Amino acid sequence: MQNSLFKPRFGPLALLIGPALVLFIVFVIVPIILALWFSFFNWSGGKSMSFAGLANYANLIVDAQFWATFGNNIFLIAFCLVGQIGIGFLLAMLICGRALKLKEFHRAVIFFPVVISAVVIGFMWSMIYNKDFGLLNYLLRGLGLEGWIRPYLDEPKTVMLYASIPVVWQYIGLYMVLFLTGIQSIDPAIFEVAEIDGASSLQRARHITLPLLMDTLKVAVMLCIAGNMKIFDHIFIMTGGGPGKSSMVMAMYAYNQTFEMFKLGYSSAISIGIMILSLGMILASRGLLRARGDQ
Amino acid sequence: MTRHGIGRGVQGFLINASVLFFSILCLFPIIWMGYSSLKTKQEFARDIISLPTSPQFGNYVDAFRVGEMQIYFLNSVLVASVSVIAVVIAAFLASYALARYRFRLNAPLFVLFISGLLVPVHGLLIPVFILFKRLSMLNNRISLILLYVAYGLPLAIFLFESFIKSIPREMEEASYIDGAGLFLTLRRIIFPMASPAMATVTILSFLSAWNEFPFALVLLKSKALKTLPIGLTNFSGQFVTDYTKLMAALMITIVPMMIVYFLSYKTIMRGMLAGAVKQ
Repeated sequence: MQNSLFKPRFGPLALLIGPALVLFIVFVIVPIILALWFSFFNWSGGKSMSFAGLANYANLIVDAQFWATFGNNIFLIAFCLVGQIGIGFLLAMLICGRALKLKEFHRAVIFFPVVISAVVIGFMWSMIYNKDFGLLNYLLRGLGLEGWIRPYLDEPKTVMLYASIPVVWQYIGLYMVLFLTGIQSIDPAIFEVAEIDGASSLQRARHITLPLLMDTLKVAVMLCIAGNMKIFDHIFIMTGGGPGKSSMVMAMYAYNQTFEMFKLGYSSAISIGIMILSLGMILASRGLLRARGDQ
Repeated sequence: MTRHGIGRGVQGFLINASVLFFSILCLFPIIWMGYSSLKTKQEFARDIISLPTSPQFGNYVDAFRVGEMQIYFLNSVLVASVSVIAVVIAAFLASYALARYRFRLNAPLFVLFISGLLVPVHGLLIPVFILFKRLSMLNNRISLILLYVAYGLPLAIFLFESFIKSIPREMEEASYIDGAGLFLTLRRIIFPMASPAMATVTILSFLSAWNEFPFALVLLKSKALKTLPIGLTNFSGQFVTDYTKLMAALMITIVPMMIVYFLSYKTIMRGMLAGAVKQ
């Protein structure tokens, strides 16, 4: 009886799953196949298209510019792992403590930048960094720290550092709330017992909260890696990849090769490269964290 | 007060002060933009931090009249709302079939959809551009909407499927036995019961459509179709050094978000967290 009710005929089933499946295949699967196909050609977008075999991939592997952009993604990941997870965890611990007033206010305010468009954040920070009218330089002058003033986004050597700060700033709230949820799911009785036994708040954080938050930490690390492999908006707005190509990230390099160099075959190979590297990084982080957790 | 008590007090003060400092760090740049957008260019140049002596709405007038922000704004509203409705319906129907029906392709299809969560979307930027170029669907609002729906599906299906599975079957069975058909049962019973998951999916897809940049940048060329993030890049090109006008345009983009956020930030946080953890 029960089974026959949920045993579908083809018609209704196709009607239910069809729309989602078609969309998914056309816009996710087909583009991947297309990228693979075009990556074997020399093509500038016009009619002429010549088979190139693996030449695009051979070029990609020795393309120092491509690896430099990948290096910028890695820099961002490293910076965000320390900044976002570190500060996010610290804030979560402080907010959970008894001493803090206005918890709800802090939580709502610190999370707010997360929902703002990355394009807006990019423009806002360009203004914060501005030489003459920027908030940052105003603050430094006010504190008598003129010596700290730098051409933040115009110095090739340090541009990635200053371009990363807005990214960290925007998403700290996400990690804070992630850790808060993790902490709140820990049985409060454990803390009470530890407190009765005389454990200080630092000891409780080190020996209870941290070990019990391992799963949350894994999620945070994966989120950090996945998020920063696909970074584009902030940097596109703030620097456009410059000065020169010093702050270019992978997605921007593919964009640049397509719309400025018109190398569509090559940028298809770059797209495949991005997919392999991103997927590789995500799966590697998963494997690594899982192995660590098993010990 | 005992020594211990004083220590506690100092500690408490430090904790409150440092978290407050951080909150200000998060909020002040936005507030600064908000009140500076009410200053004239000259007043801002004289002193970037002072409050406006008398609030001027000229920047907003110019943002609409000269910068034509209303075009981008309406485009964003249209694209975001249509794609949210479509993603909710398509994902809900597919999830119901995947959660309830037993058929041979059930597990493989579910895995296929969920694997979409792992696809690095930005790798698809160029191939999607080529695809739409071939289909002669560049510079078309529908292209962008279809894309947002497709990329919203994996997460939406993940959230809906597990939610529908947690709904007991008895009510549906009763409805079927009463002679109601599939779509009536879905509409009257499952759809209303799944409303918490619906809220999460709606918020997540709305936020991502409202804020999405690279695909809109690549696909839309004419001004009449551009969404807010792309419109802002036009706008900043048009008013290169006019900071107060740019600030007004940025405020026009984020004020609707702010209102939605402070009305329902708890749901938004829960939704974004569910989205993050599932990925």
